[in-house]
Amino acid sequence: MIWLTWRQMRAQTLWTAGLVAAVAAYLLYLGTDIRGAYRTDITDCTARCDDAAHAFGDQFGSSLLMIGLLLLAGPALIGAFWGAPLITRELENGTHRLVWNQSVTRKRWLAVKLVVVGGVAVLFTGVLSLLLTWAASPYDKLIDSRFEPLTFAARDLAPFGYALLAFTLGLVVGVLARKTLVAMAVTLLVFVAFQLLMANVLRPHFAEPVTETIAWADANTVGQIDSFGTGPQGTGIQEYDISGAWVMSDYIVVHKGDGTEFTETDLDACDVQGDNPDDCMIAHDATFDVTYQPADRYWTFQRIELATAVGLAALLAGIAFWRIPRGLN
Amino acid sequence: MNTPVLTAHALTKRYGTHPALTEATLDIPAGRIVGLVGPNGAGKSTLLALAAGLIRPTSGHIEVLGRKPAADAEQLARVGFVAQDTPVYAGLSVADHLKLGEHLNPTWDKQFAADRIKQIGLDPAKQAGRLSGGQRAQLALTIAAAKRPELLIFDEPVAALDPLARRAFLQNLMEFVAEIDVSVILSSHLISDVERVCDHLIILAESRVQVAGEIDDLTAGHYRLVAPRGTLTDLPDGVDLIAADHTDRQTTLIVHNTNPTPLAISGAEPIGLEDMVLTYLHRAEGTTAPTLEETRA
Repeated sequence: MIWLTWRQMRAQTLWTAGLVAAVAAYLLYLGTDIRGAYRTDITDCTARCDDAAHAFGDQFGSSLLMIGLLLLAGPALIGAFWGAPLITRELENGTHRLVWNQSVTRKRWLAVKLVVVGGVAVLFTGVLSLLLTWAASPYDKLIDSRFEPLTFAARDLAPFGYALLAFTLGLVVGVLARKTLVAMAVTLLVFVAFQLLMANVLRPHFAEPVTETIAWADANTVGQIDSFGTGPQGTGIQEYDISGAWVMSDYIVVHKGDGTEFTETDLDACDVQGDNPDDCMIAHDATFDVTYQPADRYWTFQRIELATAVGLAALLAGIAFWRIPRGLN
Repeated sequence: MNTPVLTAHALTKRYGTHPALTEATLDIPAGRIVGLVGPNGAGKSTLLALAAGLIRPTSGHIEVLGRKPAADAEQLARVGFVAQDTPVYAGLSVADHLKLGEHLNPTWDKQFAADRIKQIGLDPAKQAGRLSGGQRAQLALTIAAAKRPELLIFDEPVAALDPLARRAFLQNLMEFVAEIDVSVILSSHLISDVERVCDHLIILAESRVQVAGEIDDLTAGHYRLVAPRGTLTDLPDGVDLIAADHTDRQTTLIVHNTNPTPLAISGAEPIGLEDMVLTYLHRAEGTTAPTLEETRA
């Protein structure tokens, strides 16, 4: 059975292996390049280091983002082009009636396909994920926002789970839809929807976020205020960054010492005084609440992300194992 | 080999509300070449797919060689199945298919497979997708036979073949069935195919088994009775009326004598296999049962 599975997937595997090898080679080159630049621009920096750091970020940001996007799209493509046709192609050509009548049970047939083809899919994606994680690590250390959705899902463990899930999803959709093109389209749609759901709805709730009240005096030591002022949502902090953490609140209301909101009028008054605005804020005993997932939860979140994908994949595989012995005609 | 090849009790398969096979009850002894005849859509493929375990019955029971079809690898090894249109992997070569058979069947007879491929004259390096219909059927047959099953099932193996290839295929089938001692069930919508190779017959029409039995018994048990109209008003016990045709002057009946003794009615003449089959198929199409005395308005 392993021989047949390999024989059937040989062409597509070699073809994909070529692509993976090309990307891997590029990542090796990029990783080396990044390390060299990090040494000269950051480690050995003596003057105008902020500018150098900016230049470093600009230089490699887009390349890493592109590969990251590829790693996000990869599982979806694996689901559509490897998973979905795996069973539908047999059904469309009627060859399931040939192979199901050899002395191999359909459960074993399915198990081998799942493990061998799924295994190769996970392996390919995993190799790229680890290489990208390695290549990007100096950059990621500098930027320090590993929870960034496009970064988080394309580093470390997450891509392993996604590859497994997308592949299994494609296979099961194929079993249910029985038509290759329909299965491919549905797989793509469902998987992309899942990725969006994961990043926007599920991942923020992997753990109860921490809410911390920060005094204005500490505002730029705990984290960093991106901008503070009056915008369409009112007067408040527009974006607050905490190093390595995932800040959930994107608009933050500031309170004065007496508990009332810090308003536009207060802000104007501070401006008119002409003093250092921060001193004015501190004089008001200004505080604000920030809700965030602390930086040290990164690996917990990676593991939960992986476990969620693996769990769903197992569930889907269960459907296939339930369905296929019952016949598909 | 005394276990019946196939037993079915009230075997029913429905797709939604559409009945594909209705209450089939069968008992096929071992060592036979069984022909399954009926028009397209009669339920032949459904019955064979149930026997091969490709699908599960909606209700009723079926056992093949004394066990549930496709129950495990061992049971799968005992039954060879060649599906309609003889599917093969288009991208794999003939040699790959033999390798497939070898890897997937512990009972694979490598020598037999190699000999057959040589005998049919198939090029092992040729891609299966480039074979002619006849060659493809031969390849599928070889794969099914080389696993040395106790029962071989063919679903319309010759339907796609031209008359010459069909004859050659059936001839070849007969030869190796004798060679490897295997029971066979094959379906066809052509009575002549069945007449040539089978010794047991199942007639299927409108999703129901019309009649089943040894061909010799069936042909010996079916008669045509011709008599002046009005004189045939009663049939002996055990004689079933299959069809009745009344003209103004005479009545023609086709009857099935289920008694062990020959039918003792003057004017009864045996009918051939083809007439018998056609009578059953015709009856299945009709909505009303035949009557001895047709009442006319």
